[in-house]
Amino acid sequence: MAVAPRLIDRVDLLTALDRAAASKVTIISAPAGSGKTSLLRAWAGRTGRPHRLAVVRVQRDQHDAQQFWLALLDAIRHVTGAHGGAEPPAATPEFNGPAMVDRVLSELADAQGGIMLVVDDLHELHTPDMPDQLNRLLTRLPPNVHAILTTRHDVRLRLHRLRLAGELAEIRAADLRFSERETRALLEASGITLSAAGAALLHQRTEGWAAGLRLAALSLAGHRDPERFVAEFSGTDRTVAEYLLAEMLDRQPPDVQDLLLRTALLERVNGELADLLTGHPGREQILLNLEDANAFVESLDAGRTWFRYHHLFADLLRLELRRTLPADIPALHRRAAGWFTRHGQVAEAVRHTQAAGDWPEAAQLLADHAFSLTLDGQAQTMQALLQAFPPGADHPELAVVRAMGDLAQGRLDEAAAHLAVAETYAETALPGRRRHLRVAIASLNLSLARRRGHVAGVVEQARFLAAPVTGPSDEDIATGSDLRAVALMNLGTVEAWSLGLPDAAGHLREGAALAREIGRPYLEVGCLAQLGFAHIFDSADVPEMDAFATTQRRCREAVALAERYGWGTEPVIAPALMTLASTMVWLGEFDEGERWLRRTEQALRTDTGPDVRLLLHQTAAILHAGRGRRHEALAEFGVAEDLASRLAGAQALASQMISWRLATQARLGQPGEARAALAALDDQRAGSGELRNARAVICLAEGDPAGALGALRDVLDGTARVLGYVTVVEAHLLAGHAHRELGDQRAANQAVERALGLVESDRLVLPFAMTDSAELLAGLPRHQTAHAALLADILDILHGASPAADNGSSPPVDELSPGELRVLRYLPTNLSRPEIAGELSLSPNTVSTHLRSIYAKLQVGDRTSAVRRARELRLLSGRRPN
Amino acid sequence: MDAAPAPYLIRINGRLGATVLSAFPALAPRQDGAHTVLTGLLDRSALYGVLADIEALGLDLLELQKLPPDT
Repeated sequence: MAVAPRLIDRVDLLTALDRAAASKVTIISAPAGSGKTSLLRAWAGRTGRPHRLAVVRVQRDQHDAQQFWLALLDAIRHVTGAHGGAEPPAATPEFNGPAMVDRVLSELADAQGGIMLVVDDLHELHTPDMPDQLNRLLTRLPPNVHAILTTRHDVRLRLHRLRLAGELAEIRAADLRFSERETRALLEASGITLSAAGAALLHQRTEGWAAGLRLAALSLAGHRDPERFVAEFSGTDRTVAEYLLAEMLDRQPPDVQDLLLRTALLERVNGELADLLTGHPGREQILLNLEDANAFVESLDAGRTWFRYHHLFADLLRLELRRTLPADIPALHRRAAGWFTRHGQVAEAVRHTQAAGDWPEAAQLLADHAFSLTLDGQAQTMQALLQAFPPGADHPELAVVRAMGDLAQGRLDEAAAHLAVAETYAETALPGRRRHLRVAIASLNLSLARRRGHVAGVVEQARFLAAPVTGPSDEDIATGSDLRAVALMNLGTVEAWSLGLPDAAGHLREGAALAREIGRPYLEVGCLAQLGFAHIFDSADVPEMDAFATTQRRCREAVALAERYGWGTEPVIAPALMTLASTMVWLGEFDEGERWLRRTEQALRTDTGPDVRLLLHQTAAILHAGRGRRHEALAEFGVAEDLASRLAGAQALASQMISWRLATQARLGQPGEARAALAALDDQRAGSGELRNARAVICLAEGDPAGALGALRDVLDGTARVLGYVTVVEAHLLAGHAHRELGDQRAANQAVERALGLVESDRLVLPFAMTDSAELLAGLPRHQTAHAALLADILDILHGASPAADNGSSPPVDELSPGELRVLRYLPTNLSRPEIAGELSLSPNTVSTHLRSIYAKLQVGDRTSAVRRARELRLLSGRRPN
Repeated sequence: MDAAPAPYLIRINGRLGATVLSAFPALAPRQDGAHTVLTGLLDRSALYGVLADIEALGLDLLELQKLPPDT
């Protein structure tokens, strides 16, 4: 091409866009080739704009909303420079549209200065929720942010409110049309000499359509007789684009024509692909020249390695390719598919394999990478590729992919049916593939079982997953590793939720390590979150030093990792959030527990199975119970019990829920109803430690303390089956109440002392709150207990002095030594310094030294202020000195 | 909504050449003055596919008509 036609400075149009862009939202809606993108480029290229631009072009035929939002987030971070240690936005298989929009909004709200969001080719987004999500974004933009959208046709955005407020501007095809003056300017800028009449004729024939004028300019540049070209063009009734494309192509050297035709079937092209499809090296230079000539080719990256053709141009070229080189097309697609497979771009590889007509190969490719595609946030693209297989053709490989789609959509019966097909097929597959398929199927069966709440028996069938999957027959180690890491997470998760299956922690740890190794943070977060949850059940059997503190630390680590990727309120981290909420409540930190509970609810907006929701309601229930809100607690216990009864693996939990519900009922003055419900239970359940405790509460409510003691006997002597030692703590406290009513203060004190002894290491407060034991505790003389500090802490909390959470405004405090912490815990008691020294087997001088140091570090002057400050800093409960 | 294919007439401004016509293999073209008229049996999704192609190729759609079943 001799002289490149340039973008001309369309002052009027740019001014119009300037005016429009002062509105909150500008929509540029016009047909293909109207010059929307060129306008944006010219506008963006001018200096002195008040906004920084965050530009996203929607990829052709985009089915995964997540890909769009991640690109937008990335563009925003690029202009705000807000990477600040956070990882780049990463995909999750559990994409939540509204949550993502909120995340984008919150990053925008934090940004300084004006930002213009630019979304090009909005019509390419084929995701059902997109109007809702965009609407949410556009109507909530912070004051400093504006948006420009381009689209080929009007999209339903329901922006009436913005329109009424005069905050919506539109630029349409008529505005984009070149005037006759602009047509002359374009010709002039392209070095084309044409008479005024010729320019007028060209303008009339193209009707000012931008693509037509640009194509014409490409042909006219260096044309020997431009007047004749225009006259001929004007004299034909051929459609503008087709006529001009043919003219333009004809004027290109054969190697350029060949390149354009053969690479037209790619959505984007680079030098390597161009060489591969044309069979000639050095094609990148042609692409660079075409872009420089403004010939409908543009680079997609700053380094100018990837290019794309203008969509209208590409569509015409593809038709031309199909017409002129039909026999070459399958081979071209095959070559492209090979390149994309080698470069790990599976979706494009599958698309080209399908286009080549190699359906069995396409099916296997898709099935092999189904887990990786899901992890990459391309689940919808995967389902769209699935739809592209010809109906009726039998590709049993695809059953696994279909099952994944069903699971994601909650169609559990369909998922089971597809898994059954896959299982039958796996039996006939070659040994190398059989292993791969069996792992995929077992992994999905675990997910399905969890969603259904029927985990019994599944673990046994899936146990083989624990053995390494990568054998010599496994070609693609990365794919195998994705599959294996998912399998370990699913196996460990089901084991953890089956309560007390000892392998859970091991499998989850292994899964997390593998996930880290292969760079799959989503799986690492998932494993660590489940691990935090699994740990609390591991440690429920016997009181263990710092079990709660360790659990909380692990959960916080998992949450911190999740937050680095922006998944702090995603379903994947919910088990850790939940475990934090629940442990906080057990430790009597009700406000803190409630905060984590709210965050868990936020993370569980999408349904991820009955097990997590069970714990959500259980935690809400114990929080209410701990705060003495019995009616609310009763309702939540009822929901949790209902969910637990539907979970085959959660029968022990169900006993716990029923017990707490009945006890709450009895305490609310309905012992009759509670007793009737108790009588309706089967013997096995009624004999559990938890239900014996409930019976005792009912007896106490009925004024029968002796009956209560009878009910508790098997729990206290260790013969009744219990879910965890908490049940025994509860039994001691209930026994304490019974003894007290019977007038036996000594026995009551002993019972309380035993309860305190059991909770000393974890410092659990909740059982005392739920059993209304404040008075009972107060009756225990300080000198008669080995747990004076703990006793004081618990009483403080029961009297409503819930430790205040960090409010962030307090000055930082030097860490207290373990010795100082030990002394600190005695400060809320009324023990004197020598008495504390006696309790701790220290000299009074040592205690005095510790006290001076504590006062200094807490920046206080006396014991009362030290206690208050220590509470604010939450040094008195939850954490233990080493 | 009628699921069965029905005859449609689609009128486009200008004369379509072989390249663009190859995008509509299911439709028969005929010249009508300065217009091209495409006719053929289309079900709903085929119809919307054709409309999308008309949009993508930058063609000027003048008329879309559902014809009586016996045409």
